[in-house]
Amino acid sequence: MRHRSPTRELALDATTIVVIFLLLVPILWVFVASVRPETDITGGGLIPTRFTFEHYAAILAKKPFLIALKNSLIVGIAVAVVTTALAMPAAYALSRFAFGGRNFFALLILGTQMLPSLAVLVPLVVIIRQIGLTNTLTALIFTHLALGMPIAVWMLKGYIDAIPKELEEAALIDGCGRLGAMWRIVVPLIRPAIIAVGTFAFVLSWGEYLMALALILKSDVKTLPLALQGLFDPYSFSWGQVMAGGTIIALPAILLFLIFRRQLVGGLLAGGVKG
Amino acid sequence: MAMTLQTTRRPAAARPRRQQILPDRLLPYGMIGPAVFVAFAIAIIPLCYALWLSLQDWYMLRRPTPVWGGLVNYRTLLSDTALWASFGRTWIWTIGTVVVEVALALPIALLLNRESAVARTASAVILLPWVTPFIVLGFGWRFLLDSGVGPIHALLHVLGLAGDSSILNDPVGAFAMIIFISGWKGTPFLVIAILAALKSIPDELYEAAEVDGAGPVQRFVHVTLPEIWNTIVTVGLVLGILAFYSFDLPWIMTKGGPQDATTLVGIAMYKAVFLDLRPAYAAAISVVMLVLLFIASLITLRLRRRH
Repeated sequence: MRHRSPTRELALDATTIVVIFLLLVPILWVFVASVRPETDITGGGLIPTRFTFEHYAAILAKKPFLIALKNSLIVGIAVAVVTTALAMPAAYALSRFAFGGRNFFALLILGTQMLPSLAVLVPLVVIIRQIGLTNTLTALIFTHLALGMPIAVWMLKGYIDAIPKELEEAALIDGCGRLGAMWRIVVPLIRPAIIAVGTFAFVLSWGEYLMALALILKSDVKTLPLALQGLFDPYSFSWGQVMAGGTIIALPAILLFLIFRRQLVGGLLAGGVKG
Repeated sequence: MAMTLQTTRRPAAARPRRQQILPDRLLPYGMIGPAVFVAFAIAIIPLCYALWLSLQDWYMLRRPTPVWGGLVNYRTLLSDTALWASFGRTWIWTIGTVVVEVALALPIALLLNRESAVARTASAVILLPWVTPFIVLGFGWRFLLDSGVGPIHALLHVLGLAGDSSILNDPVGAFAMIIFISGWKGTPFLVIAILAALKSIPDELYEAAEVDGAGPVQRFVHVTLPEIWNTIVTVGLVLGILAFYSFDLPWIMTKGGPQDATTLVGIAMYKAVFLDLRPAYAAAISVVMLVLLFIASLITLRLRRRH
């Protein structure tokens, strides 16, 4: 980088802060509103003066919301575990073996990433209806696998490529099978990346709306995005509660992304990603 | 340490047995098989099924199971003016979204392409709109634009862009506003991509341009822009595909209204299945979407520079 004067840098930093603030203020406003008393939201001006957790207490006391929270956790964790369990061996095979159809399989998996859920919504919903799996978390988990699996394979492959083959060869000589070598040598070395892709899969499932909307109608299997919509529907609703529910959905996604940003950003750019 | 211990403790007989179950030649297929199965079940099979379904005659109120209908859905589709209007809207939406994204992302990326701590922190937190789920953004923006409580509504009202009721109740205003929100959501992704491209431009190119007497504007036009052009086109295409297939944002914010103003093809397709109960017709819409998108993508890729 070329050298610039300190005052110029300072001015650019100040501009950056203003621009980023303007870009993020719609999201910050959701968080702020979730901790303001309802009377302040409707007529208290722009600057928050009083704080309250009454909206969180109110929605966490609602049974449908708690059921949705539980369902979202079940679906998200299952999706994270299955995605990782499928992606790890697939990435290892793509990285370490030369086999017929390798490029075809790689393209097929990456191609799935480029396909938006809406493009397969109609046939998937009809198929799932015909096998009688509408209103089940199983069907939702299965469709959510498409959200993170391709990028997980792609990212893990990149990390495995970077590990010297000699490490595994040593293990093979010691009497390990190929799978044993993967499990004992490769998996521990790329553990942060594995946790990152699992997290990524969880987060994508946690906020997913379209498939849940199309597949789930019964309240006992609804997930959080549908429950948030449910908070909104009645004639009288509280903006504070809707924003508190929104924060509960958004915060895990934001925090986990910021924690694993370094592992994720490269993978996102490599494959493009569903938003 | 622990690794070595485990390896030595492992019984020696295990290896030949595993090889008998799955010889090395088949092992990679066994390892990649489950992932390929999921890709087939979630992408390939539904796409083929959509094609088959689109050739059926299936109006669920009249018959419970599909019968062969040939091109009946495609004939209906050709004369469905409301659907073509939604296709037209979707192109405006897609191009509008990408224009907003490029217009916001390019200056921001140039601003963040520095080594200061502020710039580094900013390029992390800028991802927030991208990682926040649509359901939260949709309700958040409805709140911000609400005529009773929304601060952005108040701002638009002062600027004369919104009347007494929310901009979301005005067909043109709602469409323009949600396009802007759609672009705002995708901007961080493009910023990060452009930033990565900017960082990979060798300093020598700028030095050479400076020696030739190029000013900042000329350096941007002749050095920076050509180097990041392909990134903008490729990522713009990815974002364009996502925008073309938008459903969440316009559905959550306005349910396709007011007066169909935000009814994109995705929403028309959703309504065809879930409100009109015509899954075969919806399948035909999704096939046409895919074909049109494929052609548009090929045209877009021609914009790439060849080195």
